[in-house]
Amino acid sequence: MVFNSYTFIVFFILMLSLYNLPIPWKSRKVILLLGSYLFYAAWNPPFILLLWLSTLVDFFVGRALYTQENKHKKKLLLVVSLIGNLGMLCFFKYGGFLLENFVALSNSIGFHFHPAKPNIILPAGISFYTFTTLCYTIDMYKKESKPVKSFLDFSLFVTFFPHLVAGPIVRPPQLVPQFETPKKATQQQFLQGLFLLSLGLFMKVVLADSMLASPADTVFSSHQALHSLDAWMGLLAFSGQIFFDFAGYSTCAIGVAACLGFVLPENFKYPYAATGFSDFWRRWHITLSSWLRDYLYIPLGGNRKGVVRTYINLMITMLLGGLWHGANWTFVVWGALHGLYLCVEKLIQDFNKPKLQMATAGSEHRIVQNGFSLPAGLQKMISSGFIKALFVFFLVNVTWVFFRAPDFTSAWRLLVSLFTKVPGGAVVLTNFNILAVIVIITGMLIFHWRMRNTSVVATIAKMPFWLLGLVWALLLGLLILSQESSGSFIYFQF
Amino acid sequence: MSNPSLRKAALLALVILVVFFSFWEYHLRSLNNGLSYDDGPELWTQKRSEVYLPSDKATVLIGSSRHKYDIDINTWQSITGERAIQLAFEGTSPMPALNDLANDSLFKGKLVIDITEGLVFNTSPYNMQRLTKALAYRRKITPAQRFSFEVNHLLESQLSFLDRDFYSLSAMINRSGIIPPRAGVMEEPLFPIEFGRVSFDRQDLMTDQFVKDTTLQNKVKGIWNFFSKMAMKEPPMSQQTTDSILMVIKTDVDKIRARGGQVLFVRSPSSGPYWGGEQHVFPREKLWGRILSMTGSPGIHFADYPSLANFQCVEFSHLSPADAVLYTKNLLAVMEQQKVWAGSGKLASK
Repeated sequence: MVFNSYTFIVFFILMLSLYNLPIPWKSRKVILLLGSYLFYAAWNPPFILLLWLSTLVDFFVGRALYTQENKHKKKLLLVVSLIGNLGMLCFFKYGGFLLENFVALSNSIGFHFHPAKPNIILPAGISFYTFTTLCYTIDMYKKESKPVKSFLDFSLFVTFFPHLVAGPIVRPPQLVPQFETPKKATQQQFLQGLFLLSLGLFMKVVLADSMLASPADTVFSSHQALHSLDAWMGLLAFSGQIFFDFAGYSTCAIGVAACLGFVLPENFKYPYAATGFSDFWRRWHITLSSWLRDYLYIPLGGNRKGVVRTYINLMITMLLGGLWHGANWTFVVWGALHGLYLCVEKLIQDFNKPKLQMATAGSEHRIVQNGFSLPAGLQKMISSGFIKALFVFFLVNVTWVFFRAPDFTSAWRLLVSLFTKVPGGAVVLTNFNILAVIVIITGMLIFHWRMRNTSVVATIAKMPFWLLGLVWALLLGLLILSQESSGSFIYFQF
Repeated sequence: MSNPSLRKAALLALVILVVFFSFWEYHLRSLNNGLSYDDGPELWTQKRSEVYLPSDKATVLIGSSRHKYDIDINTWQSITGERAIQLAFEGTSPMPALNDLANDSLFKGKLVIDITEGLVFNTSPYNMQRLTKALAYRRKITPAQRFSFEVNHLLESQLSFLDRDFYSLSAMINRSGIIPPRAGVMEEPLFPIEFGRVSFDRQDLMTDQFVKDTTLQNKVKGIWNFFSKMAMKEPPMSQQTTDSILMVIKTDVDKIRARGGQVLFVRSPSSGPYWGGEQHVFPREKLWGRILSMTGSPGIHFADYPSLANFQCVEFSHLSPADAVLYTKNLLAVMEQQKVWAGSGKLASK
């Protein structure tokens, strides 16, 4: 089920009531686990079997990996776990894609092969819970944490409903210890959780679904070259939509967990205020980027094997990160662009390092161009990094073209519309669409910039109660007024 | 923030919300437009699930808005003693629904298809999108969505402000008129709220005010005029396309009849220049006549029966709620008289 549905509201009220019953902690955990299974089964009941299989295999394989001393047997167990988890992911997520590419390759070399198109349904959240269980078995292999003693705790770690279908991707040490001792949300934690849930739903339902989805869909589904204004507005709408959709989900998840007394890791930290691409990935989908860093980039050698290998490792990580998002070459190009940005940024940083050291040794630190001092306001903006942040935002937007476009033809057509003046380019967006995009995206950029070094919880803590009450009422009021039906979150398909 | 401050903020938010929505609800009720249900894929899917009732227990209706305005569901059900399952959609061709029922081997019931020629003989995806979306939703519906529908039904039955088409945030901004239309962008004309309130049975009902107010009626007539002009810009449909549509209808009807189902075609009333234009653009013998002859199914054309021919559509295309009651009675009487349903499909004699 999705957070933005009546079913979830009823489910959550029931869960809160049952979970807070004065019964033993183990029974409350059983309630949480059964509730989590119900949460998942409410989408497509048979797929719960996959979740059970994954939980069962990884619990026992993880324990064996930790205790096994024989290196060969240990490696064999790791391979079993990797094949089990990644095999399932490959079949459901990449089965059709692999077959399609195999057919294209066969036909291109003259071997005509035309199999029936497979009809594979992608189980919700498979990419997320696969990564959750994978990090457990890899940690066990490396003995980086101790095996979970209780099968109930491990099942809850994998299945805990707030993070199950779209993250944040949790690591065992972040969540498992929280199941070991009885938990109950304090009143403050509960109210903060409710506020975060309201904020997350507002981001998803009001901003992403009600205001930005329509212009983004209109532009990306257009089969003709567009007027530049429409192309840019559609692209900006999507950059807002994807942020509010996914960050909205994560905010809801963190809020729901807080209402139950649990803490989930932060997943977004105002990414459009990033002043560089490594900064962007420290702020966007943080739990995935740190997962990729720890379980892919560093095992590949990270930056320990020389300059060239560092760039290669960066590119491999981002290409696979792109493919994780979807079985399409457009996602690979999206990842490749981000990899390229990171490489160029690293190259510039390495090149500037000696100069920067010299500059900081000097006494005066002013920005002078062509012999003239820039206006004080502009100097301040440049030195604060705001202009850099806008430039990063612009380049990130270019990557969203490949992320959202269904194919390369559409992506190219949109790029042409964005960067050239297409004679007779179609106008497809209404003034309402354009106004909504301008207001929301400008507001989003200002908000991200001002909030870049703080958090929602810290900010609301400083607000007078009447202001927070008004803001809260506004969020919920607009949420009720928007009347969007329970649309799925974009990241459910990943 | 300390506990008491957070608690006070939460209480303040709750009070503001309760006060605001109470006033909002009170204000909307005072407008006397009545409740209206969201007629999206969710409600359609719920009705679609009822088509498996035995053929002596239900009749399925597909087509466009004329079915939704002209067939009074309560009248139909009280006279026949059977369920009338409304699956028509406004401005929509019945073809995808016919195809869906034809390919559903479990459907063996009675089907009434409304023929509005401008929509049936039209291949524009725009005229099918609402139905296509509903069919896609039905294929992928989850248990959670079914439950949400039930909760939503409970709330919609009580609250006037839960009216997505007119009182949602984006609908209100769109309808406020404060943002002018953009040159070159085709924006859908906005129907007045009084034109169509939707019952839970998916019947469209004009409000009393709409029936009395010629300004509102003229606004809708203007919208029909807009659509007519748009249609005139399109090239005329080729004979080949017309033939292929007729062939699809025949194939689908044959499938339903082959497993014991029954199909009736109905041409609902239209009036004034609209009816004149339809007669001119869609000659009866070339389309309506061919549908009946190719499928071998019975058909009732309003113009053929005095009891159906004398209705005046309020805005040239749809009947008022009072006329819909009378029209439904008369239509059922004609169906009885013509013995359109074989065997168990006989109408109850109420």
